[in-house]
Amino acid sequence: MSEAIVIENLTKYYNKFLALKGLSLTVPANENVGLLGPNGAGKSTTLKILCGLIRASSGTAYIDGVDVSEKPEKALAKIGAIVETPEFYSFLTPEETLGYLGRLRGMGGDELKRRIKEVIKQVRLEDWSKVKIEKFSRGMKQRLGLAQTLLHDPPVLILDEPGLGLDPRGVVEFRDIIEKAGKEKTIFFASHQLTEVSQICNQVAIIDHGKLLAYDSITALEKKYKSLEGAYLELTEAPLE
Amino acid sequence: MSEFEKLRVVIGYEFLKHIRRKRLYIILALTLIAELAVLILVPVLGDGFPNSVMVMAALLSVGPALATIGAIFFAGDAIAGEFESKTGFILFTNPVKRTTLVIGKYLACYAAVALLVVLGYVIVTISLLAIYGTVPIETLSSFGLCLLYAGAVLSVTFFFSAIMKGSMSATVITLVFIMVISSIIDTVLMMTGQPNWFMLSTNGDTISTIYGGYEAFMGGMGGMGDVPFEFENPSVSLSALSMSLYLAVGFVASLFISNRRQLA
Repeated sequence: MSEAIVIENLTKYYNKFLALKGLSLTVPANENVGLLGPNGAGKSTTLKILCGLIRASSGTAYIDGVDVSEKPEKALAKIGAIVETPEFYSFLTPEETLGYLGRLRGMGGDELKRRIKEVIKQVRLEDWSKVKIEKFSRGMKQRLGLAQTLLHDPPVLILDEPGLGLDPRGVVEFRDIIEKAGKEKTIFFASHQLTEVSQICNQVAIIDHGKLLAYDSITALEKKYKSLEGAYLELTEAPLE
Repeated sequence: MSEFEKLRVVIGYEFLKHIRRKRLYIILALTLIAELAVLILVPVLGDGFPNSVMVMAALLSVGPALATIGAIFFAGDAIAGEFESKTGFILFTNPVKRTTLVIGKYLACYAAVALLVVLGYVIVTISLLAIYGTVPIETLSSFGLCLLYAGAVLSVTFFFSAIMKGSMSATVITLVFIMVISSIIDTVLMMTGQPNWFMLSTNGDTISTIYGGYEAFMGGMGGMGDVPFEFENPSVSLSALSMSLYLAVGFVASLFISNRRQLA
């Protein structure tokens, strides 16, 4: 696997609103790539197309060589994803939720039990593993969201603002988990937090108005624009069309 | 892992949802209250229990028929809820077909409603045995029609849940469609002497009219009074056909719409 994610000329209309305008980019395997852009730039739309939640108006998205719109189940088997703030069935506990999602992914028996324990420990929800999710705060749901992305040990993680709703300690813990996971996985990571992105990713794609403005290593962007923040501000300053 | 194995997983967890939610127990309580009301009020307000076991069986069938309405409350959020509460962002990113998820949800809802219907008929059977020492064979047909009606109501609810944005609106619209709109059209058709076998409310009536029609039922309760039009008993076979159509069309439509629906 040399290219984990390939996006080719993606266009997405929401009725008459053009959210993505021929977006193309490639995420190499085992690379951690940040997706940056202002609100409404098309970050979430891109990730939702990759996760099979919405269909592109035109263009193609591949995960590990599999066309997401043609064979969504095969493509989704290779990813773990958090899209927007995750919500879970309130009547289940984290253990039961992970049991459900794990079984849907073909896991079972002792292997599933072991992985559930591991990921619950990883996101520090041990004391809440048997408590119904209806009692959970946003940050705790976010932790559970991360746990379900790691449960089946997928080669590709697609993360949309995973640190949203977390307290400062949670943000640091999250970053550590994702950073660690990123050493052996491909991470495609949308965020507004430039510091977070620069700590986790080695490359960034900056998009605005559904178009790719820059895609380079953080070092190269820092060299050209003095800082990642400088690159972001300069590239995304064009007025709204 | 086959889609069939995934379907089993979905059914299991969806059924767990119904077991853990209060609405199952509220509908169960309403079913029991309806049965108790018939068992207490009929002899108290009338001159003892009706002479005919058929009349009493028809009266008691109100409990299981009420239980089928549970389908609306169980299924109103089945599809709409995944979009409204955004749980779909987690569920739909798993390698499982939407069709499998919808079928699993449908079967789990059906199992929960069927459980209530079975409990309702257990009460009917025990009550009739205790009062009359016998249970009419028509109870079996009534039970079958009730299960079919539950399936039809469930499919209609799934259809509205697939097209509506919110769970509450899906539930309310289904209730209005079945309890109000269908009943009004049904009454107008009946008053004007037009065929009404295709109306869901008429179809639901067969659960009781199987015991001898409106006349036997109302006659046993003291007559029909001055009704300005003639009651035509619904045909059981046509009603069964109609309910099967609601079940199949509603379910297939909900599958089609759910597969097309995007989680933006």
